[in-house]
Amino acid sequence: MNQRDTEPAGTMTVPTGLDWQAALAEAFIANEISVVSFVPDSRLHGLLEQLEAAEIPLRSLAREEECVAYAAGQRLAGKRPLVVFQSSGLGNSLNALATLAVPSRLGLPIVISMRGSLGEGNPSQLPIGRAVEPILADIGIPSFTMREAAQGAALVDGVCSLAFKARECAAILLAPELGGGRETR
Amino acid sequence: MKPVDVATSIVETLPDALCIASLGTAVSALRVASNDGPHYYFGASMGSALATAMGVAEAVPQRTVVALLGDGELLMGASVLWSVGAYQPQNLIAVVLADGRYSITGGQSLSRTTNFAAVAEAIGGIEGRRAKTANELAVLLREPGRPRLIEAEVDEPAWPGPSPFVDPARVRVAFEDNIAGVGTGHVRALTSGQS
Repeated sequence: MNQRDTEPAGTMTVPTGLDWQAALAEAFIANEISVVSFVPDSRLHGLLEQLEAAEIPLRSLAREEECVAYAAGQRLAGKRPLVVFQSSGLGNSLNALATLAVPSRLGLPIVISMRGSLGEGNPSQLPIGRAVEPILADIGIPSFTMREAAQGAALVDGVCSLAFKARECAAILLAPELGGGRETR
Repeated sequence: MKPVDVATSIVETLPDALCIASLGTAVSALRVASNDGPHYYFGASMGSALATAMGVAEAVPQRTVVALLGDGELLMGASVLWSVGAYQPQNLIAVVLADGRYSITGGQSLSRTTNFAAVAEAIGGIEGRRAKTANELAVLLREPGRPRLIEAEVDEPAWPGPSPFVDPARVRVAFEDNIAGVGTGHVRALTSGQS
């Protein structure tokens, strides 16, 4: 892991500049992402920071459902939005995913930072963490787990192709093994 | 006003606007008012319509975007008002069908009067207004200064007529064509199951 820096986000210090964050950012920039709708998360902060540095607009919205619905509007206008949130917010997003984005074939790439899996220290995160993959599969959204930085470019290229060419929503799940998490805090 | 009066005022006052209707009454009313025009009709996803309208508005800044919303719809997704207030897309107008009821599910009352116009003003970044008549609504739609939320008082909550069950594929393609400036007429077979 190539942790270059730590920066404050609110009252908590979060890691930025991790190699996997850089790999994802570089790949999404190469895939011409036009805007990012997100709900904040410590592990995602470094990714968002690098996308913002590339002058990609960020939209910090109030809940995950809003992120999906906002991105749906962008897709209707032919843009290339990215949706980013933590797995604990998947439940909040389901209405917009399952009854808007999927049936309308709006094709959204989604990055989900995983909680409730390997190393999780918060019991409240475990049920939804276990359910992320089956829930996504049940509503017709393929998901692909990223465990190391070297996977970043291929996964991003793949979900962007599914989203923007095949019009299928597709998700990258960020495994805790990547580091930069707060599962044990 | 009836819901159709509200929708008619919108399409007559702002004929070039891109409209997004939330599921239920708003969809049916906009279908009547626009003769199944190439707008975006929500078949579900209650609570999401204003966020989608915000996404369209930011992506198409040269067009006025009007979100026609049920009051129960906006109540379910009210957090989006803070997001609109934060990013303030200048071409976005939200019009709320304020009848105090969940019309699509049988007319059950909302738990409390919503007063979204005052809420918008309190949040900041959004102008909150109220309209009692179609003429008042038309005046507010024409006024500069946005984003704006207009609470349209619906005192005759009659069901507009057309089905709210729309074919999402036809809706999407027609709306995309509208944004692109092509195929802006009547959308054929908008009701799900028609051919």
